[in-house]
Amino acid sequence: MAHYLVFLEQRGGCISKVSVDTWNRVQQQAAQEGESVSGFVGGPLKPTALGELYGNGTIYHAQDEALSLPSETLLCRILSALVAEEGCTGIVIGATAAGRRLAPYLAETLHASLLGGCAGGSLHSELCRRYIYSGLVLAAYRPEASIRIFLQGREQSRRSFFSTDRPHCVSFDASPFFVPHENLLIRSVTSGNSRKSIAESAIIVAGGRGMGGKDQFVLLEELASLLGGSVGASRSAVDEGWRPHSDQIGQTGKAVAPDLYIACGISGAVQHLAGLSSARTVVAVNSDPHAPVFDAADYGIVGDVREVIPAFIGAVKEVLQKK
Amino acid sequence: MNIAVCICQVPDLPSAVAVVDGSLDLSRVAWVMNPYDEYALEEALRLKERFPGSAVIALAAAPEAGKELLLKALAMGADRAVEVCSSTLQDSFQTAWVLAEAIGNIYGQELPDLVLCGRESLDLQNASVPAMLAGMLGMPFAGSVTALRADGESLEMEREGDDGLETLEALYPLVISAEKGLNIPRKTGIRQVMEARKKPLEIVQASALPDPLVRFAGAEPVSLKKACRFVETPSELAGLLYRGGFFKTAQE
Ligand SMILES: Cc1cc2nc3c(=O)[nH]c(=O)nc-3n(C[C@H](O)[C@H](O)[C@H](O)COP(=O)(O)OP(=O)(O)OC[C@H]3O[C@@H](n4cnc5c(N)ncnc54)[C@H](O)[C@@H]3O)c2cc1C
Ligand SMILES: Nc1ncnc2c1ncn2[C@@H]1O[C@H](COP(=O)(O)O)[C@@H](O)[C@H]1O
Repeated sequence: MAHYLVFLEQRGGCISKVSVDTWNRVQQQAAQEGESVSGFVGGPLKPTALGELYGNGTIYHAQDEALSLPSETLLCRILSALVAEEGCTGIVIGATAAGRRLAPYLAETLHASLLGGCAGGSLHSELCRRYIYSGLVLAAYRPEASIRIFLQGREQSRRSFFSTDRPHCVSFDASPFFVPHENLLIRSVTSGNSRKSIAESAIIVAGGRGMGGKDQFVLLEELASLLGGSVGASRSAVDEGWRPHSDQIGQTGKAVAPDLYIACGISGAVQHLAGLSSARTVVAVNSDPHAPVFDAADYGIVGDVREVIPAFIGAVKEVLQKK
Repeated sequence: MNIAVCICQVPDLPSAVAVVDGSLDLSRVAWVMNPYDEYALEEALRLKERFPGSAVIALAAAPEAGKELLLKALAMGADRAVEVCSSTLQDSFQTAWVLAEAIGNIYGQELPDLVLCGRESLDLQNASVPAMLAGMLGMPFAGSVTALRADGESLEMEREGDDGLETLEALYPLVISAEKGLNIPRKTGIRQVMEARKKPLEIVQASALPDPLVRFAGAEPVSLKKACRFVETPSELAGLLYRGGFFKTAQE
């Protein structure tokens, strides 16, 4: 019977949102099949850190400060030892930047089948279906190894868990896994900002070249903060220097999975749309009625962003006040 | 400094990829070097220019001769290019295995100081080969690097983490994957292409492959088309989205 290990990513003493979703989702799927789940988290935690995790099983917690910023190499040593000790057949990792780097390293170490970005995100399906070629092809892959590693994005795990049970936390001694002269270290993280990462946002307001300039993004910032979302960008907007590369959405940027995506002054190139395959509802604002972005949108407004966005901000404030 | 760079090719336009009866048809595809691999190669060439006596070898694992790809690498400035031929590679594990074997054959016991790869191949977007290759070579792996400062003994790198900018420190040998922003790759002209034809370009055969960990099991075409409902005014849109339940986060 399957036994899963969920890697819980820690940020500033809290479990990341993606990891919380992943844990709860795995619990739910495992419960349906009578399977069991363990977890691992490294680094000092705030007392409330595990508060959003439901279900059964054990969470191994290694308190070492060095695990707040672990290298792929170090994490791989710890997780592969845990997998062997616990006899895990499935490892589930949230598809964050760190998770994406860790998963293939671990897959090689364990000779495990890596299944990343599977549509639907079921742990039990025989095939993993995922988008390739900029989202224009849906391919199916069959895992061949006895251990599987699942990289799961947020879209697959938003449901909250129904159980009121709580996993129990035991402390884990990671000291055997530290080596005296580690040849790769993450020295520091300078949080550029406290903004929510677009990969985790439920609402994204994105701007393209049609915004006309850096200053115009203030409008999108205002709309995003009104809606509790964040701002993204097309590659053209990034190339113009209007936004940092971390805001770029698409094939060479981030794949996002919001409930609502509002594309402002974005033409809808296939490379941009590649980042949107998992967006639920897409709204497009563009002055060109023939812009390809409308073909990928649920709702569209033809018009100048400099007029439409301020009017839309006003209208949103109005509906929110009426409530 | 000995540097190996792993390069692969990707379709110029993804829309040229077709699906016929559940299989991929790539016959209409024009191929280009994977953009992330250009960053990797450019960085290798810059290191070579800084450290006299360095050598850069470009490596590609491919089922059939992608000579254009290797010529491009030589034109950019690689000293030597090697293509490892093998039957169709099923997954990243087999690809990494073929590359690891080739690196072993080329460098022997003395592994290269650096192995540079792209962050991911743009077509399949596995982002797996570099980490797997690192594991097989027994080297640590630094992924998605956006800045690199090297001296003779150690390396300092930067990358965008989930929380902000991360600074990394490492010793040689190391496998690095290159993210956009690392550099701006050089352009090549006729002269460089002519010179490239004089450089060593080898095609070697891979030995028997290990079993793949994941197997391709068919494909279907995807239409991104949705039925767009055009809305006349911003307030109509706001009303629709409000009723659709999209403004809950705003009210929290
Ligand atoms: C290998 C490769 C990878 C790529 N990766 C990515 C990627 O990850 N992400 C990405 O986004 N792109 C990517 N691209 C680039 C992509 O092909 C497009 O060039 C890019 O997405 C265009 O950005 P844009 O829509 O902002 O600009 P444009 O295509 O210039 O479109 C601007 C749009 O704004 C509209 N507009 C102009 N003025 C106004 C106004 N006042 N009001 C309203 N609308 C207005 C115009 O009608 C037009 O539709 C990639 C390309 C390649 C070759
Ligand atoms: N067939 C190949 N030959 C050489 N290098 C490859 C090959 N496939 C992938 N790579 C390298 O691995 C990186 C990531 O590829 P992937 O894991 O397929 O997304 C690429 O940017 C290349 O540097």
